[in-house]
Amino acid sequence: MTYSQSPSKGGVNPPDDSFVSRSLRIANAAVPSLAVIPLLQHVGAAARCVVQPGDHVREGMLIGAADGPISANVHSSIPGRVVEIRTLRLPDGAICPSVVVELGGEFEASGKPPKELPWENLSRQDVLQKIQAAGVVGLGGELFPTHVKLAVAPGATVSLFVANGVDSDPALSADFVLLREKPLQIVQALRICKFLLAPTRTVLALGSNAEELVSIYERALREASLDCQIVVLPSRYPQGHEQLVLGSVGDGGTQTSSVILNVGTLYAIYEAVVLGKPLIERIVTVTGAPIKGPRNLKVRIGTRIGELFEECGGLSGPVGKVVIGNAMRGLAVESTETAVTKGTTGVVVFGPREARTRTEWPCIRCGSCIEACPWDLVPTRLYKLIKQGDLVTAEKEGLSRCTGCGCCAYACPSHIPLAAVLQDGMSTRRQVPRG
Amino acid sequence: MKPQGITGGSFLFENPATALVMGLCPAIAVTTRVMDALWMSAFVLVVLVLSALFMALIARARVSESGEVQAATLGRQRLGALLITATLTGSIEVLLTAYIPEAIAGMGIYAPLIAVNCLVLSGAERATRAETVANGVADAVASGFGFACCLVLIALVREVLGAGTITLFPVGSFGGTIAVPGLSCDPIRALGLAGGGLLCLGYLAAALRSLQTRRANAMAGKAGVQ
Amino acid sequence: MAERPEQGGHAALIVAPAPHVGIPGSTAGMTWSVVGALAPAAAWGIFMFGAAAVFVLVVSVGTAVLAELLCCLVSGRMTLSDGSAVLTGLVIGLLLSAGCPLYVPAAAAAFAILVVKQSFGGLGRNWMNPALAGVVFAQLSWGASMARWLPARGVAESGGLPPLDALRAAFSTTGWSGRTPLAVLASSGYTFSGLDATVVQWVNAHVLSIVGVSLRPGFFDLLVGHVTGAIGTICVPLLVLGAVALLRRGVMRWQVPVAFLSSFVVLAFLFGGLSTGQGWFAGGAGFQLFSGSLVLTAFFAATDPVTSPLGLRGRWVYGIGLGVLAFVMRFYGSLGDGIPVALVMGNCFVPLIDRATPRRQPENARKGVA
Repeated sequence: MTYSQSPSKGGVNPPDDSFVSRSLRIANAAVPSLAVIPLLQHVGAAARCVVQPGDHVREGMLIGAADGPISANVHSSIPGRVVEIRTLRLPDGAICPSVVVELGGEFEASGKPPKELPWENLSRQDVLQKIQAAGVVGLGGELFPTHVKLAVAPGATVSLFVANGVDSDPALSADFVLLREKPLQIVQALRICKFLLAPTRTVLALGSNAEELVSIYERALREASLDCQIVVLPSRYPQGHEQLVLGSVGDGGTQTSSVILNVGTLYAIYEAVVLGKPLIERIVTVTGAPIKGPRNLKVRIGTRIGELFEECGGLSGPVGKVVIGNAMRGLAVESTETAVTKGTTGVVVFGPREARTRTEWPCIRCGSCIEACPWDLVPTRLYKLIKQGDLVTAEKEGLSRCTGCGCCAYACPSHIPLAAVLQDGMSTRRQVPRG
Repeated sequence: MKPQGITGGSFLFENPATALVMGLCPAIAVTTRVMDALWMSAFVLVVLVLSALFMALIARARVSESGEVQAATLGRQRLGALLITATLTGSIEVLLTAYIPEAIAGMGIYAPLIAVNCLVLSGAERATRAETVANGVADAVASGFGFACCLVLIALVREVLGAGTITLFPVGSFGGTIAVPGLSCDPIRALGLAGGGLLCLGYLAAALRSLQTRRANAMAGKAGVQ
Repeated sequence: MAERPEQGGHAALIVAPAPHVGIPGSTAGMTWSVVGALAPAAAWGIFMFGAAAVFVLVVSVGTAVLAELLCCLVSGRMTLSDGSAVLTGLVIGLLLSAGCPLYVPAAAAAFAILVVKQSFGGLGRNWMNPALAGVVFAQLSWGASMARWLPARGVAESGGLPPLDALRAAFSTTGWSGRTPLAVLASSGYTFSGLDATVVQWVNAHVLSIVGVSLRPGFFDLLVGHVTGAIGTICVPLLVLGAVALLRRGVMRWQVPVAFLSSFVVLAFLFGGLSTGQGWFAGGAGFQLFSGSLVLTAFFAATDPVTSPLGLRGRWVYGIGLGVLAFVMRFYGSLGDGIPVALVMGNCFVPLIDRATPRRQPENARKGVA
């Protein structure tokens, strides 16, 4: 039941030095003494704060309640006392209140063996309720509230459910190590999702850099008697993007009949439904040239990223740029006091020489950006249209298909910031009334 | 576009050849020699001014009555302009052929083509919309002189660089051709071709346009300061 | 109101938009590597023609650099380091003969930089290849002066014209039917070098006698570039060497030159003989390939990304179109060997080709998915 698909068009091969972090097991990062937990870590409305400064919180206690149909709960990742509610600017520019918790008190859940709760007799509504209560969102980076994604309208059928384990982000390997170390839990989560969705077809998509996982999962699926295809896709960036995975795996079905979830999200579903544990930690790949020992860490939400460097053996040189996410589309942060959130797939550190801005030359119409774009766009033309202010024509030529993957800017020999300008044009266009 | 008389409008910034891009054929074809350019500009100027005068006299009456020009009137105006221009061109050509044949020889086919030259026809039409006959004629004079300066300038550049000579009217013992030392042995012949002519015209237009932009910016700057 | 997280213990972090990695190459690096790829052919030209070739190249590159500097002063931005002015000057110099008067490379380079490139907006904005447009400008202005050919080292004085020009002269005197170009040249008294005679004799005697084929005198000279002609265009193997190096480094794309040369060769083979009364399938395609500026133009001017179409499909169309134009201008044109004019004409069609070869529509992979 395993087969490789032909890759999607375009894409680039940035240097991938994740073999070090891949070879190591996930390590538990130290519990932070101070957790800065933003109330907006998902798509939709920010959570409503339900604690006040001075309150004592338990590990896993609700501190932000979902506000509206598209929203998610936020929980405290450490026990302690709420120091303050700070309004912070997040790396992507959003401004939202964040709960700052100081460590104190005893750990109720950690350090004790996890207790598995039976879930097979629950109704779909109850299972979804557990997922919603745990505040599970898409952990591959798109941060969509999972309980909304898994809620199937009565009478609708899901033709395809894909578990996205294609780890094509350069230098990150969180999904890979999770798949390698927790196959039973992932398979259980697949079973939960199949129960919720009743899809016609289930697929586990893996990257070609994960060949060793195929046999592990074939056996695990066989032992669990779970009907699921394993598809291996080439791990050329950005093959791991949701749309490209669905395109390579699926049959071009409409949005409502395909559901795709990241394997990190699946593990969070397992924890929520089977262990009753809220989403308070995630796997983060900490890597980069100045990091002495790059590896994957299980980090509590709210940990400041500066504290993670020590967990990885410290820094071997000065730091020029710190990026949250992956090197192709991550956000550069202004300081290492920025906290890890549900969407932090990785922390990539660059030295001063790597981080310096390269000379920008005029566009020489080489066409590299066109070959690199997975979405059939002509980035150089869109760039020129946006620079001239002609957003209407840019949209007609497909600007709204741009996902900000960064392949065009990566491939450009003139170092033109194509991805940034295209994304900027898109957001400007969204703000302007249609017409 | 209201005619502005001699005050810089039609002469410089609405110069027919560079700004309005009219009359390009003679501007490129006859500017290989300075003398040909001079004859062409003189011919065009005379035809233009006389056409403008006649059109202003004949056609003005209709415009002043209603203030609007109807389509039928426009058609009659254009026909009238064409007839007047053709007559003038034809008569002057016959005169020149009889008395100054080298002028016609230099201009070649472009002499009779002045009858349908868009420059002349549009100048005649503009004259019908002028407030006074004098204004209309003055605009035509300015337009014609602008065209003349443009032609002579281009012809100077093209002949000096492209042929190494300057051809003027023979006077007495002077044969009429001045040879530029150095360039006349191996001139830049590409400039004598049509493409070279277009290049010279283009750069002249660019220079005028940048002058105009600079002037506009200066005036806007002054207005802003005040 | 909104607080920023305080600085950690590091120096100010660089905040820049994604992506944070990029390919190692750059536009400037690519241009300089093309300059480097032309160096072997330039060196051969200097070896063949001596100091005169050096002067032509120096004047050409120097004028281009000075013209670019002038524009840098006017615009306030220093663009010399991108290497394009040096490349333009070098290509112009390589396309001229070593004996042409020095005002020719100077004027051609000045025209190329000031008119063709900078007047339209500088690097990336020109729609005609500057070097080749400069050469066409020079051909139109000083065609006769440019045809002063210096003898190549080791070739007798009486072989005064480049092979292509000599062939044309020979054709104009008598009709030659069914003969290869080298045979025509031999009959018209064109002399090649002594080295060529020795090599061809040896190869004929020891290698090809088995097969029964014999090479004509001049084969070796033409192959190796031991003839008179323009400085950089005579040695085809060195040009190809440079081109292969660029292809391996990914600086050049192979579609345009392959399409160009193949369509030219096919057309020349099929129809080349018609203009000289030699009949069909007798065009002497191999001779035409090794004569004149065809190979240099195909690899180093037609591949200029600024003046070639954006998409890959467009490049095939462009290459074939260039081959057709080159064939027409080489066999039926009157302006030198015809290739620079063909390329400049081809450049004019590039916007049309871009419009006519749009990128493929997205496949069903992108259909209906949010």
